[in-house]
Amino acid sequence: MRAQFVLQEIWIGLRRNMTMTISLVITVAIAMALFGTGLLLRKQVDESKSYWYDKIEVSIFLCAKTSSNDSCQKRDVTPEERDALKTQLEKMPQVSSVQYENKQQAYARFKDRFASSPGFVQSTREGDIPDSFRVKLKKPEEYKAVAQAMLGQKGVDTVINEQEILKKFFRILNGLQFAALLIALIQVVAAVLLVGNTVRLSAFNRRRETGIMRLVGASNTYIQMPFILEGAIAGLLGGLIASVLLVFSKMFLVDRLANDLQIVSKLGWSIVILVIILSICFGVLLCALSSFLTLRRYLRI
Amino acid sequence: MIHFDNVTKVYPSQNRPALQHVNVAIEKGEFLFLVGPSGSGKSTFLRLVLKEERPSQGHVHVAGKDLSRLSNWKVPHLRRRIGCVFQDFRLLPNKNVFENVAFALEVIGKPRRFIGKVVPEVIDLVGLEGKAHRMPDELSGGEQQRVAIARAFVNRPMILLADEPTGNIDPATSIGIMKVLDRINRTGTTVVMATHDAAIVDAFRKRVVELEDGRVVRDQSRGVYGQAY
Repeated sequence: MRAQFVLQEIWIGLRRNMTMTISLVITVAIAMALFGTGLLLRKQVDESKSYWYDKIEVSIFLCAKTSSNDSCQKRDVTPEERDALKTQLEKMPQVSSVQYENKQQAYARFKDRFASSPGFVQSTREGDIPDSFRVKLKKPEEYKAVAQAMLGQKGVDTVINEQEILKKFFRILNGLQFAALLIALIQVVAAVLLVGNTVRLSAFNRRRETGIMRLVGASNTYIQMPFILEGAIAGLLGGLIASVLLVFSKMFLVDRLANDLQIVSKLGWSIVILVIILSICFGVLLCALSSFLTLRRYLRI
Repeated sequence: MIHFDNVTKVYPSQNRPALQHVNVAIEKGEFLFLVGPSGSGKSTFLRLVLKEERPSQGHVHVAGKDLSRLSNWKVPHLRRRIGCVFQDFRLLPNKNVFENVAFALEVIGKPRRFIGKVVPEVIDLVGLEGKAHRMPDELSGGEQQRVAIARAFVNRPMILLADEPTGNIDPATSIGIMKVLDRINRTGTTVVMATHDAAIVDAFRKRVVELEDGRVVRDQSRGVYGQAY
């Protein structure tokens, strides 16, 4: 196989089909960018989950005078009730650790956590946050058993599962990821059809050449190679454009989302590069394979 | 070299067979005219030799091989040993004479040095000295057919198939084309030429196989175009 000859044929093919090639490159670029964004979001969800699930706690707030809950009867929890709750919690098999936090500690932690929004801190006074048990679970999913055991006990005001708060965030990310992958899938279908059309046009444009090639005994690979490589090059160009788009989507979508929602774990660039490589390979393979398959219909061997 | 063993060919969309019970044996180095009116099966005969079609019945042997037993991926190798010339030349309009001939070698992966040596030799053989860099549309019909013959012969095939090679060419120029085919035949290449051209067949006095409605009605050495009564 002579490389120069094949390259020349590919160039002729791509040039004759310029508009088709451009639309193919654009379609592949969008498909791969969305595919990659979907993967990045998936990764973000996974990483945030594992990050947060380590830190996730169930807070059991105890009764205070200010509580509006009827079962508290407008009085503070007694030390006896508190100790009873603590022993009960420690005995539960789902619980890995229990930590008591009094009003002063809670307020200090609150101030620390929201140091960046002073107005918020100023409007809150010590004592607004009641005493609580901060319970770490062995498995975050087993929260319900603990909540049910605690609710209605004497001295318990409310049980708050931090997981519920995070779920909203994950739902947004999952929705975005699903949308990206769905549109990517539609674009992939469009790309396959476009490759089919491009190959058909290309085969028609070059029917003289391929006819002579067949006649003088060129091997099937030799006849098909320029067409398949044409597809692969269009896929490669699309993939390269997609990688630029992916860098943008990392900077302006994934990172911004993470910032807005105060998610500490940001995706590293190594993941982005991995996703880019994956998208390019997928784009090239997709185009090469679909041109190979359509060739069998439009190029007589 | 080419053996047709009771070959019948029926195209799927037609009920009349294109060839019926054809038995022909062509030996190495022969020159054979395949004559007959349009639709008598001449082109089908040639296409069967190239394995562009498969016989509905019977066997075609080329160079001692039964084509029905030849697997598809070996067909290109068969075609490398058979040269083809057509009435409409089938040159690539955007390539010059040298490139058109070289194309046949490039696509079967011959090295460039070999191509650079062999192509000028063949261009001289067909009588196009000094015209290697002309484009096809700058050549006369006869010259274009010489390019096509050069391309068919450049890989030194055992068999040269010519489907009405003088069909688009005036009689005077046709003689020149025939001389080129004769020269190629003298190198030991078997030549099978399908033609309507009575004058040429009569002038050359080679073996004639006449087809009519897909049947061989005459097989005559040193024959003429029309029936010799």
